[in-house]
Amino acid sequence: MKITLTLNGLSREVDLPPLVRLLDALRGPLGLPGTKEGCGEGECGSCTVLLDGEPVNACLVSIGQCEGRAVTTVEGLSAPHLGPLARCFVDHGGAQCGICTPGMLISAEALLARRPDPSDEEIREAIAGNLCRCTGYQRIVDSIREAARERREAGGAA
Amino acid sequence: MSLADLPLHDMQRAASLDALCGIVAERHARGEATVLLAGGTDWVVEQELKPPRGDADPRPLVVDVSCMAELRGITATRGLLRIGAAATYLEIRRHPTVIERAPMLAAMARELGAIQIQARGTLGGNLATASPAADGVAALAAYDASIVVKSVRGERRIPFSALQTGYKQSTRAPDEVIVAVEIALPPEGSPWLWRKVGTRRAQAISKVALAGIAVRSEDRVVRLGLGMASVAPITATLLQTRALVLSRPLSAITADALDAAVLSDIAPIDDVRSTREYRKHAAKAVVRGFLRDLGAPV
Ligand SMILES: Cc1cc2nc3c(=O)[nH]c(=O)nc-3n(C[C@H](O)[C@H](O)[C@H](O)COP(=O)(O)OP(=O)(O)OC[C@H]3O[C@@H](n4cnc5c(N)ncnc54)[C@H](O)[C@@H]3O)c2cc1C
Ligand code: FES
Ligand code: FES
Repeated sequence: MKITLTLNGLSREVDLPPLVRLLDALRGPLGLPGTKEGCGEGECGSCTVLLDGEPVNACLVSIGQCEGRAVTTVEGLSAPHLGPLARCFVDHGGAQCGICTPGMLISAEALLARRPDPSDEEIREAIAGNLCRCTGYQRIVDSIREAARERREAGGAA
Repeated sequence: MSLADLPLHDMQRAASLDALCGIVAERHARGEATVLLAGGTDWVVEQELKPPRGDADPRPLVVDVSCMAELRGITATRGLLRIGAAATYLEIRRHPTVIERAPMLAAMARELGAIQIQARGTLGGNLATASPAADGVAALAAYDASIVVKSVRGERRIPFSALQTGYKQSTRAPDEVIVAVEIALPPEGSPWLWRKVGTRRAQAISKVALAGIAVRSEDRVVRLGLGMASVAPITATLLQTRALVLSRPLSAITADALDAAVLSDIAPIDDVRSTREYRKHAAKAVVRGFLRDLGAPV
């Protein structure tokens, strides 16, 4: 089945069986391995991408369901260089082994797009579907809070 | 892992709800299954748990309903709230009318799974999977919602009280598509409760969940809806408890009578998430909590 979608702002076409998981389509034929697979069951959030601006688990979405829709992956946030949000994770210890980081960045991006000045509780709710076995979460919350502040100071551009 | 099976399934889109009903009916008549794929948060996960199908085994046809206009949308007219079967929990929890007039439903949607699940999951999927642990179904039970279903034979409404007949069994025919749910809205500001007793807030399936709505007139409750998840083979509607509360002034309800009614309404089991005894304890405690908020001395 030919599927046309907007991927990180560019129109892309793939020819794949429609029930191939978006996660596998991204990491394989679409050449974007930044999105990670953890559990494959919607529990861990490491495969989180934006679908028309909302965070979804790419392991539960099939590529055929993406026809005509916009998908943003972690590459779309940062390429070709580390974006300001990702840099806050580096500076504030929000990333250790890095497996959860692409999903965390996407969940954070989805939050900041709606809530420029989120409370810590809102940050925690936004990343509640993203498991991290390294950081203990506090540093991730700090990173996102800091990214929000920088973004507000830059007038929402960062 | 039978996820490898997924690409072998065929997937279609239907041009309209009528066309969808036609596809489902035709396949059903031939003994072939059709999956209506909405958020995939139940069905895709189930595929992972299944053993691989043999090459000769029939695979269901998958029809993507996640973008079907006739199954989406949330509207409110004259006290009736209608939520499309394929509207997502995120759309539900953000909808101004839901927040204002059905705050219990908004609270349920906010605590179901995590945001990634809410952005995909739907009430249609929750109802069709029909798990006794389903949060959305418990909320619909408390609202005494109607389930709007459609097939080639036409559209009909199933009152919640006539929907569930046994573990994952319902009066919805196999070729009936869930179109929407309809809720008769209680007056603005009516007391409500959404309480999930679980291990943590996000993702965890609850050990017990209680949905409650009430309409109070002085010392009496004049409308009461209760729905409880994970305490019986089907979503519990707590009919004895409702009858007790509606039958007397709030001040005349005793804790003992309330506990006894709750226990007669549920049949919990031991499973991986909790025990029968704990569930009984939790069920009594959450119902007491709701009645205490309403003003009963329990
Ligand atoms: C990590 C995780 C956490 C979860 N947490 C919760 C939770 O806290 N509480 C809870 O209740 N559930 C939870 N769930 C389960 C799930 O998200 C819900 O049951 C959800 O409502 C399913 O909806 P869906 O659109 O994704 O269904 P799908 O997976 O798309 O479909 C499920 C079934 O419903 C059928 N179906 C779908 N739409 C229709 C329709 N319109 N008419 C007829 N049949 C239809 C399909 O054919 C399929 O058999 C969780 C799931 C995951 C993976
Ligand atoms: S890999 Fe998708 S949620 Fe874990
Ligand atoms: S940094 Fe290792 S899992 Fe989060």
